[in-house]
Amino acid sequence: MTKYILKRIGMAILTLIVILFLLFILLKLMPGSPFNDEKLSVDARAALYAKYGLDQPIYVQFFKYLINVIQGDFGVSYNISKNTAITVLIGNRLWTSIRIGFQAVTFGAIVGFLLGTVAAIKHNTIWDSLCTLISVIGVSIPSYVFAMFLIYYVAFKGGVFPLSYSESDPFGSSILPTLSLSMFTIASIARFTRSEMLEILDSDYMLLAESKGMYGAKLIFRHAIRNTLIPVITVLAPLIVGLMTGSLVVEKLFSIPGIGSLLVTAIQSNDYNVVIALSFIYSLMYIVIMLVVDILYGVIDPRIRVAKEA
Amino acid sequence: MNKTMRKSFLAVVSIAAVATIASCGEQETTTSKYLNVSINTGVESLDTQVATDGTSFEVMANYIEGLYRVDGDGNAVLGMAKSVDKSTDGKTYTFTIRDDAYWYTSDGKQYAPVTAQDFVFGWQRGDSPELQSEYQFMFTDVALVKNAADVYAGTKALSELGITATDDKTLKVEIDSPVSFFEKLMYFPTFYPVNQKFFESVGGTDGYGTSPEKSLSNGPFMLESYAPSAVSFSLKKNSGYYDASKVAIDEVNYKVYQEDSTAYLAYKNGDLDIAPISGELVDSNKSSSEFHSVEAGYLWYISLNLQDTAHPEIANEDFRKAINLAIDRQAICDTLLKDGSVAAEYAVPEQLATGPDGKDYRETASTYDYTEGGTKTAKDYMDAAKKTLGKSTFSLALECDNEASSVAEMIQAQIQSTFPEITITLNPKVKKQRVADMQNGDFEICLTRWGPDYADPMTYLGMWKTGNSNNYGLWSNAKYDQLIDDCTDGAYATDTTARWAHLKEAEDIVMDEAVIIPVYQKGDSYLISDSTTGIEFHSVALNRVFRNVTKK
Repeated sequence: MTKYILKRIGMAILTLIVILFLLFILLKLMPGSPFNDEKLSVDARAALYAKYGLDQPIYVQFFKYLINVIQGDFGVSYNISKNTAITVLIGNRLWTSIRIGFQAVTFGAIVGFLLGTVAAIKHNTIWDSLCTLISVIGVSIPSYVFAMFLIYYVAFKGGVFPLSYSESDPFGSSILPTLSLSMFTIASIARFTRSEMLEILDSDYMLLAESKGMYGAKLIFRHAIRNTLIPVITVLAPLIVGLMTGSLVVEKLFSIPGIGSLLVTAIQSNDYNVVIALSFIYSLMYIVIMLVVDILYGVIDPRIRVAKEA
Repeated sequence: MNKTMRKSFLAVVSIAAVATIASCGEQETTTSKYLNVSINTGVESLDTQVATDGTSFEVMANYIEGLYRVDGDGNAVLGMAKSVDKSTDGKTYTFTIRDDAYWYTSDGKQYAPVTAQDFVFGWQRGDSPELQSEYQFMFTDVALVKNAADVYAGTKALSELGITATDDKTLKVEIDSPVSFFEKLMYFPTFYPVNQKFFESVGGTDGYGTSPEKSLSNGPFMLESYAPSAVSFSLKKNSGYYDASKVAIDEVNYKVYQEDSTAYLAYKNGDLDIAPISGELVDSNKSSSEFHSVEAGYLWYISLNLQDTAHPEIANEDFRKAINLAIDRQAICDTLLKDGSVAAEYAVPEQLATGPDGKDYRETASTYDYTEGGTKTAKDYMDAAKKTLGKSTFSLALECDNEASSVAEMIQAQIQSTFPEITITLNPKVKKQRVADMQNGDFEICLTRWGPDYADPMTYLGMWKTGNSNNYGLWSNAKYDQLIDDCTDGAYATDTTARWAHLKEAEDIVMDEAVIIPVYQKGDSYLISDSTTGIEFHSVALNRVFRNVTKK
């Protein structure tokens, strides 16, 4: 198992370096410049490029960047927050995005899973139809619409939760954003769980367990849920990364200091270092999550564990 | 099974209940006066010689004051300087700094008196080749500070810049040529003072202004909470400010609302004292006492590439005037924008600059009527153009920013309905691409805008001088160039009245030759709560000033 993990980590590092290089090239090919002020003359812009070393050939810039990254220096922002170190800029926002994303994923996965399980067990009843309805709505309605709905009816008219995110009330003001973000997760997980669970409930080992006298919650928990988890986790993994990396729309609407809106702004204004650092973080998260999922497979399903060890 | 469901339901409900109770815990003391404002984008920098955007300027001006500050009517009034002595040739200013001006750290402690040296240090770093400030051109091209160009090029030492501290409270500034609006430049943040000792103690450019602990205040407020790219931050009253008794607000709370719709809801909820509005909200709130409309300085106009050989019609003056008359600016402002923007048929915006006669430039400047009193129509111009060009159908590409595409669409529709023989193709693009294309001369006609750097018509008129980097249409007129030079540092530089008259003459040339096709002047509409009075709006440099706000 350890050998397997080490091999995966080695591959991960290689992948990240390749990703960094590709990012570098893509950004240099992008039109525009980090110094977007219309008032800047061509000479002034050239002087700024020279100051930040942006006039060097790409491979020189990449090499320097790699060396700096190893020492923990991710460069500075060129226009979102002039001259601010990237580590400071992102550091402030990363944990907020991760926290809210984590809340959304946890809430979404649990509720979705429960909903899907109920729908599968109460197949072809009103509960099933309800679950399907919620799933379709959740997947179809854009998070923007759902968020505005919550802001207007729940926060503004109802006054139940604050209208926007505020650092002085980190949990309370993150409830509505969490709900908006989790809608898609609930819907996808619910549908997926339902179809997986239906298949499993029909399988022969369930029939055997039932004939042996097992019924109700015990039956479901001991036999059905564990089998459903594997495919659900597979679907959940990319959703987790997507949510932790922040949603531009939800962040904008709730004025959340997150990395989703930061990335989009950075791309639009050619703030190279911010784009590279954030993309790097996304890639890292994705690789780590996939590794964790792979390990979890072994934990949940003994067949996979045995096969790997063989 | 049912038990599980019930448990989960209860869990969700209890979490919601706890959260609701937790969020009810905030209270405000009724004696403190808070001002809650929104901004559309975050602060880019709180370093006075590095920042370039309006939001950063507005925030910095709350807690740092320059030699002059701006009053509600847009006049420059003495700030850190208690008196000024201007030489007869207008090239030397001697300022005396106030005795009661001090720097304060964010914990309210007095740090040091504000000295002339602080201004010297600030200006020197602003012009230094090391810093590469994006507003360095203010020293060389606008304020015309002596040796500014050489210092920036590195051929002269920083100490040779035309600003010296003859003693702690006396500052001497030397400029190459009289600048009639010099005082107005002094409230522009690039010219603000920086205390060198403090600056170096917090890590220089890397640290200065990145947190309340790393900033000093000599203005009406001081930073209370702030971090780079923060979505919400606040300032509190600086009780050590020399005019603190006139500052009636205890705390200014800033929050970034990127969507106007959420800002509006926050305003309605009482979380904001001022919110920007546009479109339908303007229509429905126009008659309310809370509605305020101000003219911003931005002039939106169509820039024409006169050097485009593939489209010789652009270089034809009649053609340009025909297009000009085909555009219904009023319709654009009244039916599309609805935010207080006004139709513009001029090259220098309204409410930008006050002349030596005490009146706004536009009040006494010309009006440009291509119809010549109704005798000539768009068709007349077009017929004349067709005759000269020997062409009867035309096809042009109109470039614009993505954000401006709805205005561009209206313009396209208006031109095409007046002249079916013209086909306009729209090319909306990302702003940076649009700017890059213009700089490369890679455009035919383009909807663009220009914002003023300082409160003088020259900030617009200077653009169309031959060789100016913003003269994208590459228009060139020797007489115009001569007028601009004379008004900048030549024959009319010292005579403010003559200069004012000749600026108008220059505008006449630009408009008579239809070098650009002005469309509208941006307006901003706001809702301001009835309990808040005294927010001052300006179209240049400092968007809003909160120094004199009172709250009931």
